[in-house]
Amino acid sequence: MATSNGEDGSVEVQLGQTRVLAVVKGEITQPYPDRGNEGSLAIFTEFSPMGDPAFEPGRPSEMAVELGRIIDRGLRESRAVDTESLCILSGRSVWSIRVDIHILDNYGNLVDAANLAALAALLSYRRPECTVGGDDGQQIIVHPPEVREPVGLIIHHLPIAVTFAFFGDGNFQVLDPNLKEEEVMGGRITITINSQGEICAVQKGGGVGVSASEVMRCLRIAAAKAQSMTETLKKAVEIHEIERAQRKIRRHPNLQNQIDTASSVPNPIKKIEVEMEETSEDIEPKQALDTERGIKDLSMSDSSRMKSTETEVAETLTEKPSRAGGRDLFAGGESAWGDDVKLTPLKGSPGTRSTLFPLDSDALVEFDVAARAVLRGGVSSQRMSSKLVSEPLQRQISDQIAAAAVYANQTSPLISEDARPLGPIFPRVGDMDSTEESDAALETKSVSQPEGTPVNFYFSGKKKPKKRGGSGRQD
Amino acid sequence: MKVEGTDDGAVAAAGVGPTGVSPFVSKVLAPGDIVLDLNSTNKVLRVGSGLRQDGDSILATKAGKLRFQKQSNKYWVEGSQKRYIPNVEDTVVGIMVDRRSEMFILDIGGPAFGSLPILAFEGATRRNIPNLQIGAAVYARVVNAHRDSDPELSCTDAAGKSAGFGPLKGGFIFDCSTGLARGLLSKPTPPVLEVLGKSLSFEIAVGLNGRVWVNAPKVATIITVSNAIQNAEFLSPTQQHIMVKKLLEDSQ
Repeated sequence: MATSNGEDGSVEVQLGQTRVLAVVKGEITQPYPDRGNEGSLAIFTEFSPMGDPAFEPGRPSEMAVELGRIIDRGLRESRAVDTESLCILSGRSVWSIRVDIHILDNYGNLVDAANLAALAALLSYRRPECTVGGDDGQQIIVHPPEVREPVGLIIHHLPIAVTFAFFGDGNFQVLDPNLKEEEVMGGRITITINSQGEICAVQKGGGVGVSASEVMRCLRIAAAKAQSMTETLKKAVEIHEIERAQRKIRRHPNLQNQIDTASSVPNPIKKIEVEMEETSEDIEPKQALDTERGIKDLSMSDSSRMKSTETEVAETLTEKPSRAGGRDLFAGGESAWGDDVKLTPLKGSPGTRSTLFPLDSDALVEFDVAARAVLRGGVSSQRMSSKLVSEPLQRQISDQIAAAAVYANQTSPLISEDARPLGPIFPRVGDMDSTEESDAALETKSVSQPEGTPVNFYFSGKKKPKKRGGSGRQD
Repeated sequence: MKVEGTDDGAVAAAGVGPTGVSPFVSKVLAPGDIVLDLNSTNKVLRVGSGLRQDGDSILATKAGKLRFQKQSNKYWVEGSQKRYIPNVEDTVVGIMVDRRSEMFILDIGGPAFGSLPILAFEGATRRNIPNLQIGAAVYARVVNAHRDSDPELSCTDAAGKSAGFGPLKGGFIFDCSTGLARGLLSKPTPPVLEVLGKSLSFEIAVGLNGRVWVNAPKVATIITVSNAIQNAEFLSPTQQHIMVKKLLEDSQ
């Protein structure tokens, strides 16, 4: 029923044949003088003639103003959107959130559809994170989304609008009237209520008189309807969240090609890095689970700094492979470690944090298929044979790890310092021998290699150890 | 090569390819696509709706499939829209909104209201003016539809006979897309109407402006027919059969 446009904060809702688009934007402004520590929320409606020949361009009609007011009242007076969290500097700068509602196609019951669209847009909107700093502590630094993850609005509850149309003497109600019903109805009532049964707004304007018992009946029906609608809305938002998280998985381009040849889905994913706080609720390869937990703990404490360094490294890192191209991914020269270095314990590096990096190629393939299925909103009809991709995949991934590991250990001490608390995932060179125990903890079987071969790769299960060459390292 | 205007029914010299027929017939076009080049043979063509002449070429101005009729050498673009753009010779279902001294004003769902002269009925004279009220439904034919002026309608065919045009009494009108309306009027009869006609008795008038008028003795029949027609828009013939059968079973 609802579809997201891919951008945060822009949602189109289709309620039957009625289509409404809501777009949320945020801006830093000065607060109202009497509400110095609160941000603001404003609703704007646009009834373009595209939606209905009866809409005229120019001044909003009475119906347009009424619609805007109903939605505004439902959100503002019930305090659904937390405005105090929108404050940056009390009395000086606050976030001002603006919701624009565009009617694309009017087939009746615009209020309900517009309300849903506004709620979904507010739930999916992400504003840039900003901190207060500077010399005097009064400067506002707005962080771009690449540096710091944009943060969502705090929404306490979801007020759902439910509209009834009255016919006859007011004793005959119709829920969710369509265009024809609206044209001949005797009166209407809109009840904005949340799933806890709290009434946020009631609007009955003119029309046929309705008895109190009829209104109570409408309230009861509206409460039930609001609960089911809240479920639907939450599910749709959750799917969007998963898709958004999936989009952040960046793959190595060569890896991508291998996968693409088997399942022809174009995906502009470039990097092989995985964000730390990526939700793995839907896909959880068991092997990676423990490492995820370990990493997540870390990310709670010092995530932002880690992320920024991580992304920096990852960006410079993937430039190299893309320039080199093909399987020759490592363009940095010979390994500086020599023969007696065991790269076995190197399970990760800035380039390959294994939170969502399934170490089993079967799982990897499944993961990809599932991820793409989620992205496409459907199910992949072809299950790739893991045999098809495992070999080259292994090679790609192992080369990647090697490249990443060497690069990481050669770069700034800052990275290795911070990386140490991660334990087995990101060891320093000196710690390598002590990481055998962590292998067990990770529940992967390490593919043991004779001395001198550069990189090992971990596959649990039936995969045979592979010898690789061509990665640029000598033994 | 003589070229006279680019309105509907206008004549333009054209020719393309060995057979002189545009290679895009029955292909889907987008606005701006060049359909024909007017440089070769001196054939005379009719440029229909959705096409426009631009110098030496004919361009599509609507999205849809290109159609060609050999008998009249006419090209036009058929697309499906919610809104209706009047074209000459379209049969439309209009609703009367006003009465002037010399004409009735009908709403045909287009950008402008259409005007229906009071004498444009079979057997109408000054003394014998048809009695249409505001809100009445009328089945009419578009006589004139220039881009810049209001469309003109008529309730007679070219020969002056009524041919089914005129006021529609009773019944129920619903809106649909122009594509569905065209489909309902196409030959052979669409399966949805055939199957409905076998078990129910009703009458319909389909307007190419995306309006369908349905009338039947029982209200339940009217509702069944309207729902069946609206559901049938994107179904294949077999699916239409199944859908209508199911609908008839459910309503019995």
